[in-house]
Amino acid sequence: MAREFQRGHKARISDLTTGTDLYVGVQIAAPGLTFDISCFGLDADERLSDDRYFVFFNQPKSPEESIQLLGAQAGDTESFRITLDKIPPQIHKLSFTATIDGDGQMSQVNPGYIRIVAGGEEVARYAFSGSEFSTERAVMLGDFYLKDVWRFAAVGQGFDGGLEALLRNFGGEVAEEETPAAAPQAQAGAAPGFAPPAFGAPAGAPAPAPQPPAPAPAPAPAPAAQGFAPPPGATPPPPSPAPSVHAQPTIVAPMTPPGGAPPPPAPAPAPYGQPNQQPYGQPSAPPPPGYGYPQAPPAQQAPQAPAPPPGYGQPTPPPGYGQQPPYGQVPAQQAPYGAPQGAPQGVPQGAPQGPGVAAALQQFKETPTGQRWTQQNKKLVRVDLGVGGHPVLARQGSMVLYQGKVDFSYKGAGFAGRIVGNATGQEMQLMRCTGQGQVFLAENSTMLHPIELQGDGICVSAENVLAFDESLQYEVRRIEGHGIPGGALFTMQFTGTGTIVVKTHGTPVVLPVTPTTFADANAVVAWSSAAQVIVSSQVRMRRNAYPGDTGESVNLQFRAAPGNFIVVQPYEI
Amino acid sequence: MNQPLAGFAPAPVTARMENHGNHMAKIAMQTGNDLFARVGSMVAYEGFVQYEPNPPAVRQIAKDWMTGEGAPLMKCTGDGLLYLADYGANVVVINLNGDGISVNATNLLAFDAHLTWGVERVKGLAKFAGQGLWNTKISGQGWVALTSRGKPIVVDCGGGEDETYVDPDALVAWSPNLKVKGKRSFKAQSLIGRGSGEAYQMAFSGQGIVVVQPSEDSTDRLRVRG
Repeated sequence: MAREFQRGHKARISDLTTGTDLYVGVQIAAPGLTFDISCFGLDADERLSDDRYFVFFNQPKSPEESIQLLGAQAGDTESFRITLDKIPPQIHKLSFTATIDGDGQMSQVNPGYIRIVAGGEEVARYAFSGSEFSTERAVMLGDFYLKDVWRFAAVGQGFDGGLEALLRNFGGEVAEEETPAAAPQAQAGAAPGFAPPAFGAPAGAPAPAPQPPAPAPAPAPAPAAQGFAPPPGATPPPPSPAPSVHAQPTIVAPMTPPGGAPPPPAPAPAPYGQPNQQPYGQPSAPPPPGYGYPQAPPAQQAPQAPAPPPGYGQPTPPPGYGQQPPYGQVPAQQAPYGAPQGAPQGVPQGAPQGPGVAAALQQFKETPTGQRWTQQNKKLVRVDLGVGGHPVLARQGSMVLYQGKVDFSYKGAGFAGRIVGNATGQEMQLMRCTGQGQVFLAENSTMLHPIELQGDGICVSAENVLAFDESLQYEVRRIEGHGIPGGALFTMQFTGTGTIVVKTHGTPVVLPVTPTTFADANAVVAWSSAAQVIVSSQVRMRRNAYPGDTGESVNLQFRAAPGNFIVVQPYEI
Repeated sequence: MNQPLAGFAPAPVTARMENHGNHMAKIAMQTGNDLFARVGSMVAYEGFVQYEPNPPAVRQIAKDWMTGEGAPLMKCTGDGLLYLADYGANVVVINLNGDGISVNATNLLAFDAHLTWGVERVKGLAKFAGQGLWNTKISGQGWVALTSRGKPIVVDCGGGEDETYVDPDALVAWSPNLKVKGKRSFKAQSLIGRGSGEAYQMAFSGQGIVVVQPSEDSTDRLRVRG
């Protein structure tokens, strides 16, 4: 499943795929324009110190072939094969760029993308469109960069000059005003060495290619006619924009916690010395003898004569106890001891487990991952403060457990915030969690839903917010409508990049916004902020927990483009 | 008529204690194999089961319980099937098999009478938290049933260089060999009514596990009912 990147997002390649032989496809097109798509192999100073690592139409591969240009195929305007293992150590960054050949500007481009395909499966995609740019003539689409491990960053940074300016930015120099316009045509003959969307990553997923690989014209091996001279260290302007991107905190990407953070607990070794570590519900050792119940349920083989456990001591067991047929269960199920014998039943019957505390609690083990936000189960969420490094704001008292050095401090709403909070009821009692470690958050066994915002927004009622990244902005938003007793309804709007944890009482329903989507103002929990809310009031004698209400209830109607949603909980508060 | 309900019939007994669904414990009772259960936790039984609230044996061991009204345990004897529940809380049954576990008072549902058990105070912070005044340490060969408001989580305390801090209201059980101490994260701010809400924590260190529920509702429903 491809992960969608937004501008500025980063991820470790190893989190995307286990493969290191990657296909990078770029699709970019605009009416009447041609694009040069190139890959710069930069050193630790973000300089193109070795021009043999400027891979473009005139130089289709790097010396050891770790970066190869493959040409247009599989729906991509240009494609590369990147073999991470083979990239020499002095190369610290691969920057994928697209430049307009000739006149034109980036605002004209159609929606395009840069994607990573491994093992025939698309693992990452950063989509962009012309609306994100203006008069730029070049754009840095994405970077592979080495920070402990190889990572991918969706950059999406426009650049005013063309290829030459880009080159100069990277410390290269244009020797002559060349850049032949016949870029695509220069590629001819010779199929590529491997079928891009299907070449085998070590993971070996035999997934079909996402798109039928088009007969790919391989780039003609141009005889080393580099259009620029090696950088003599003169005249390069400092390449400022790219590092700033990498300095941003990462939301989507799990990154190695900075030093000092406790590593995520390893799943395998259970150190309490339990001999039996069977998963719960697996056939396991029989219970210690001496209780006198059967080792295997004989009642299942003799349905009409339910054999109570020896020692039960009653001549006539109560009907129904141990009997299978009346409930339509398959008799003679021969279920091994502890196997899920209750298949047709509505109740998950507790299967006996292996003895010992650890075996019994195996199913409730902590889930180990290195993500910043991890949902432990439906009602518990874990945040790893070491990942990403910035604090988390959480509802006061929602911490149930933490490990590591975490500091909890009061987060005031500020003077203005309290005025607004008092007036609108949209007030949150927050605490700020800082430090290094994992914090488990939960409240009153409500169901929790971490929602990752990537520049978009969501409207949540303040009482349904459990926690959120401090990088998110929030403000009280007013929903106007006639006939609302208080004059308006209020909600919290969260925008930015980060994760917000929304809590609901019971399993919520997430409805796509259609022309006729209505929700009770009391039961609606959240909606995507692009949705327009219209109040359609009806007089209903219902209690209403919104402030300033007198007992009239309000229905909210939502209008939005497809793709928006609302979240409604089965609980009217 | 019974068709939709048929799926909820009990499964055949295969062990001393089993789950019936996530929220109910089913216990196969036998003469000579008695059970201690929370008073008021019985929801149904089949067969001949007798209940003795506040039995002398419990009083003896539980003399530390400062509850004022006797022990919140009853002794169940007899033969049959006993169903226990605690107001919809998740039930976890554990076959101890020689292990030990320390259980918070309100989260203990039932345990075999022949197990070794004792009541101890959690030092230091019990008074502050208003709950967890006592916890029960149980070990031996037998079965224990715990309750948890919501699906619990088990956290490994790891090597011990880093302590694990738990909100006492959310604590269910822990390995008895863990070192426990109270931690008061007082700040000047919290003294003027601006606390973060997490003023008291229990710190665990050593080798073992901690079981935590996803709720800070520590109300003892079985006791509140009166």
